Amino acid sequence: MIKFWKERAKSKILTENIKLEDEINILRDELKGQIKAKFAGSLSIRMVDSGSCNACEAECNALSNPYYDLERLGIHFVASPRHADVMLLSGVLTFNMLPHVLDAWEQIPEPKWCITLGDCPAMKAPFYQTFAIKAPASEHLPISYHIPGCPPSPEEIMKGLVGFLRGV
Amino acid sequence: MSRLIALFAIERDEHFEIIERFNDKSESKIIPKDTPKTKTITYEHPSAIWFERKISDDFGIEFEDSFDKRPLLRHERFPLEIHPMLKSFDAKKELTFAPFKPYKYEAISGDGVFEVPVGPIHAGIIEPGHFHFSQAGEDMLHQEVRHFYKYRAIEKMVEGKNLDEVKEIVERISGNETIAYQIALRDIILQSANQSISDELRAYHAMLLELERSIHHLTDLGFIPNDAGFGSALAYCSALAEEARRVMKTLTNHRFGFGSIQMGAKSYDKDEFDKWLSYLQTKMSKFESWIMDIPSLWDRFDTTGILKHQKAIKYDMVGVVARASNVAIDRRDNEYYKNAGWSIVTENSGDVGARFKVRLKELFNSIKLMKEFNSRCSDKDIEPININQFSDGRYEAFVESSIGELYLYIEIKENKIERLFARDPSFINWQGLHLMMPGNIIADFPLINKSCDLSYAGNDL
Repeated sequence: MIKFWKERAKSKILTENIKLEDEINILRDELKGQIKAKFAGSLSIRMVDSGSCNACEAECNALSNPYYDLERLGIHFVASPRHADVMLLSGVLTFNMLPHVLDAWEQIPEPKWCITLGDCPAMKAPFYQTFAIKAPASEHLPISYHIPGCPPSPEEIMKGLVGFLRGV
Repeated sequence: MSRLIALFAIERDEHFEIIERFNDKSESKIIPKDTPKTKTITYEHPSAIWFERKISDDFGIEFEDSFDKRPLLRHERFPLEIHPMLKSFDAKKELTFAPFKPYKYEAISGDGVFEVPVGPIHAGIIEPGHFHFSQAGEDMLHQEVRHFYKYRAIEKMVEGKNLDEVKEIVERISGNETIAYQIALRDIILQSANQSISDELRAYHAMLLELERSIHHLTDLGFIPNDAGFGSALAYCSALAEEARRVMKTLTNHRFGFGSIQMGAKSYDKDEFDKWLSYLQTKMSKFESWIMDIPSLWDRFDTTGILKHQKAIKYDMVGVVARASNVAIDRRDNEYYKNAGWSIVTENSGDVGARFKVRLKELFNSIKLMKEFNSRCSDKDIEPININQFSDGRYEAFVESSIGELYLYIEIKENKIERLFARDPSFINWQGLHLMMPGNIIADFPLINKSCDLSYAGNDL
């Protein structure tokens, strides 16, 4: 452990010297302003997967790595729909998940918004329609914003969230 | 005893055929359509139970002497008269929700024993699935895993399509194993077209598979300590995982490598890639000397969620989980990989710590393999070979994905897919998860689950 801290101390700020790209810094400043203006400093997101391939979840998890660090902007992924402003919905809305998705949506207090993430909920992913798929999501929920991509990269998700906040 | 790999059914004109695929043999059983009944093999192979329940749901075949005949993928509101894999059932038919029929969970009852249902929607950015605990205070007595919330009916979706048309679907069965799925499909395409690819292209594909494994292992090496309350490991490893994803993007033009396994390849900067591998090696060596030296972390890892060696064999477990319980199964165990520097990684204790160590050592092994494959790759673009004729037949492919042994079966009839069956390594391993619970407290469940890091999407299909 001491060896590790010695190593870290030598390299001043971060051993890894992870420099955030300028583009992300601009995006970050913009996001912070939007959240402050519209949501009194914080935006709480409940991520619900309704039948994705798990790449969208991996990209959402990537949002909290040191390169993006979404939480610094006041955007939090919360554990319960009852703590959320926004439901971020990924996946093709399977027959088996739809009732649970609607249940989660009902639990979110007003005012609330639903953002669809990735091509699946818009039924734009390369799957054929089957009995087990209930997408597009717009037939079941009021969708405020859509972030396209298969999967959308963390940057695209951040840009998407800015786009959503502009429209609120 | 043979190891069960897969058990699945195919509908023929006159009868059903059930294929029992073991590691050393493949057996086929004929079931008449008018009395669709057969005997169970769950008493010898406990992991057959989900396969059999799936067959019952899909085709209406009954396993007479089975101890568990509950529906598996047909959930509470699924119309029970429908068996979706029957040829007479139209894949595009719109289903309406049937009246709610409760599912009877495996639960222990008794004085002071209570049940804790968790999911399908969990408290985090995770895929949906249900875990049902029987508790005596903090202690877990039993846990039932219930899945198929993400059931997209992919096996049905691809029927009647040709192999080209399903590429994009197969690569999206499970996002974190996409390269493995693509390589499995590539092998089947090559078999059915009686073609082969150049050594250079094969090395390139094998390199991408190791890169995918490295990303997956890096992610887990961060998340497992994080679930034990050691967040700085997550910060360290998730930054490296992000860098690895960007490398994947540079190589394949996609952060996960969707669409990257083609019959040709674009050239890339080999020196740059080799430099990055050396950098990753240095970073992970530092990580190793740091993480192995934190007693409070290993206090949580050691003896938590033990899967005993005998149980791992009995439940036909595969992949990282099996190897951590000293079961030496790895689909890379062949001359091709051995020549490239592959060696098996096993641990004895079968606990969270063992699974962590297996991942760490495999990551180092993957770096070594990638260096070797990189040197074998071509400096120039590889011209794609043209394949459009697929001959009829039954084909299968095995790939060691980042989770474990992946099995893909495709039967082609008149150039179209007659039956596709994919057995994700997770499908087997989920069934053994409950074995790790007794003797642990419920607060350790997320840690144990994360140490296995199984795919929900690949399991549910």
